[in-house]
Amino acid sequence: MATLLKPVDVVTIGVGLTGSLAALELGQAGLKVVGLERGSGRETVPDFQSPPIHDELRFAIRKAFMQDNAKVAVTFRNASDQTALPIRRWESFLPGQGPGGSFVHWNGQSFRAQVADFIWRTHTIQRYGQKFLDSCGPELTIQDWGVTYDDMEPYYARFENLCGVSGKAGNIKGQIQPGGNPLEAPRSGEYPNPPQKEPHFGAIFRKGAESLGYHPYPQPSSNLSRAYTNPLGIKMETCIFCGFCERFACPHYAKASPQTIILPVLLQDPNYELPALCEVLRINLDSTRKKATGVTYVDDTGQEFEQPTELVLITAFPLNNVRTLLLSGIGEPYDPKTGNGVVGRNYSYQTTGGPTIFMDESINVNPFMASGACGTMIDDFSGDNFDHSNLGFIGGQYVGAIMTNGRPIEFHPTPTGTPTWGLEWKQAVARHYNHTILVQQHGTSASSRLNYLDLDPMYKDAWGQPLLRMTFDFPENDIRMSQYIADKVVEIGRAMGGKQIIRGGTKRPYSVTFYQSTHNAGGAIMGDDPKTSAVNQYLQCWNVPNVFSLGASAFPQNITYNYSITIGALTLWALDAIKNKYLKSPGPLVHS
Amino acid sequence: MPGGRSPRFGPLGFIIGFVQAQTQQPSQIARGAVIAAQGTPTGAPPCSQCHAFNGVSDASGAFPRIAGQSAYYLAKQLRDFASGVRTSALMTPIAKALALSSDNIADVAAYYASLDAPFLPLNPPDPALVKRGEQLAKIGSDKQRVQACDNCHGPEGAGEPPAIPYLAGQYAHYIDFTLDTWRTGFRKSSPESMEVVAKKLDDQDLAAVAAYYQQVRGSGDVGAPQ
Repeated sequence: MATLLKPVDVVTIGVGLTGSLAALELGQAGLKVVGLERGSGRETVPDFQSPPIHDELRFAIRKAFMQDNAKVAVTFRNASDQTALPIRRWESFLPGQGPGGSFVHWNGQSFRAQVADFIWRTHTIQRYGQKFLDSCGPELTIQDWGVTYDDMEPYYARFENLCGVSGKAGNIKGQIQPGGNPLEAPRSGEYPNPPQKEPHFGAIFRKGAESLGYHPYPQPSSNLSRAYTNPLGIKMETCIFCGFCERFACPHYAKASPQTIILPVLLQDPNYELPALCEVLRINLDSTRKKATGVTYVDDTGQEFEQPTELVLITAFPLNNVRTLLLSGIGEPYDPKTGNGVVGRNYSYQTTGGPTIFMDESINVNPFMASGACGTMIDDFSGDNFDHSNLGFIGGQYVGAIMTNGRPIEFHPTPTGTPTWGLEWKQAVARHYNHTILVQQHGTSASSRLNYLDLDPMYKDAWGQPLLRMTFDFPENDIRMSQYIADKVVEIGRAMGGKQIIRGGTKRPYSVTFYQSTHNAGGAIMGDDPKTSAVNQYLQCWNVPNVFSLGASAFPQNITYNYSITIGALTLWALDAIKNKYLKSPGPLVHS
Repeated sequence: MPGGRSPRFGPLGFIIGFVQAQTQQPSQIARGAVIAAQGTPTGAPPCSQCHAFNGVSDASGAFPRIAGQSAYYLAKQLRDFASGVRTSALMTPIAKALALSSDNIADVAAYYASLDAPFLPLNPPDPALVKRGEQLAKIGSDKQRVQACDNCHGPEGAGEPPAIPYLAGQYAHYIDFTLDTWRTGFRKSSPESMEVVAKKLDDQDLAAVAAYYQQVRGSGDVGAPQ
């Protein structure tokens, strides 16, 4: 029997980027907020200090910060005629666990989306015509977001200020700025901090890209280029390029994470409560199934609690947002046979994988001297920045020398033909370790009616609830896109002076056995039509208006860029609507 | 802890070793030794007058131990003294005199970097102060939002050459004084990292960190030149 707790105003399911931001904003509005987080507490001091935090085996290989998939895994298959199996070792994507969520172990790559990204369907049809879009793949189900870049711009600026993003603007109110990215969406102002220093690999890329007429710029980074006090009054420090961002936590208060930009203020709020080790089982609905009454969770002793609340915010990793909706019976599950239903629909991912460029041995790259976002890159092939008329695909990728580390276990560049073990392999690693540049291709993932999330009919978690099942393969459109850009990037590699180049590009079938990206998107997408979206433009569930699903599960398809900053902006956008509209008059913010 | 071998990353150690071996030629070290012993014709006095010929200076702690410090770091400090980025009534004129000949700084830095010198016997420190210092050095302080010193200065303050100096065995007086120069804004070199940290520490913290590192001996194989 569940213990009934005292009612609160708001419950967030998960305390990562979206959950901590929501609790902060709504706590400041005077509401009593409880954050339910399945992981245990962790702070910069003492939990993230070196040398223990630089234990590559523990954090990068054994993935100490990730969701415990001995308890809750995700099952996976490429197509709906296959049987899905549980992912027992996270490889392709890495959902975080514990306060701060995945926003602790991220790399700090801090982009905005482009103007066209928010209106991708409308924009594509306007520029190329419906026939062109159909020819890219009849299975594609790309949609507009229901918000525009102009709607989002102030929220982007607010979130960047919170993080202290270090970068160089390339377009301020339509004025192109030297040194920045001339192809970016117009910004209202400069970044809060100047860009990080450019490492040698970035300088080599810059020279090569410039010689081909492209437009290199410094990657915007939430690893800070200087000491900074954010708008909450929290002090951050300068990144020292230790090379342990992704999969790790920052020891230096230099990378934006809930621990460094939000929690020090939030945890002082007497209206906020963060009980440890709470596994949420479901959101409870009343008899009409149109109102949430509270949340049921289990603590680490196995005791069940019911937390009554007026407002539920699902603020978990995107995949877990979708699973929570499905387990709670909120919204109609997507049916791939009929195309009806919305929860689980339009799950999308990210196209990644660039070339490895072997340089002359006189060039010392020093890859270990890096932050997670100190690259030099181009947007010439991003999104719709280039003419697709005769290319037969939509979407694009950014390209850049973005080397995040030279860590001893993970970084072993060897040319094609090198044995995979033994003396010759060791000699090749020693020879190429300091003279190899990795160039990233990173881009869009179009949504498709074939790709979706639902509850697995066979496999269950430690509490007896069905696991989430992922059915996914890259649409042929995305393969054509990635392969087209791969050729262009080989040319850049040659212009950089590469002696040997291992070509990049995404291939089918999608595999969960090697790392690609933790930018899982969609499944509870936003939009202006309840037939094709799970939440409205304010991320509010269409049928249960006191439940909001925040985060990248709302993306109708995935954008070119690493998505954290867009998640932050979208969350602030939804929170403004909750504070200024919903709280004054609880109910649907958009009438279907 | 003293005597323990600090774990090092293989490839990183290899490359740093390689870089140092490349930059510190025997002839360069020999030239540097001459400067240390007798100064330069351009007017720099012998370094050994204060820092001793073996780089351990003296037990007053007025002058830092420089034996085995990275050549890159030592040369950068001398250049910063010469250019005025870092100022010291004592070191500024000496560095300016050294800088009159372009090789002097590199030579003398290479010489002192090449040394593996003993530690002078010192009075035992206050154990409570050392304990507090060890906590700041290894774990930091959540309350003050100060990260562990070892994050950058290496396990047990062994240094992260070439850029970051060792602290293990450095004189307490020098560490305390130097942190204070950052705290007061007097020292202008590396403010982006050290001034921020120093300003979060009080007098007691400075004394504690200094007392801790003075008595750390390390393993001797970390940050040592080839």
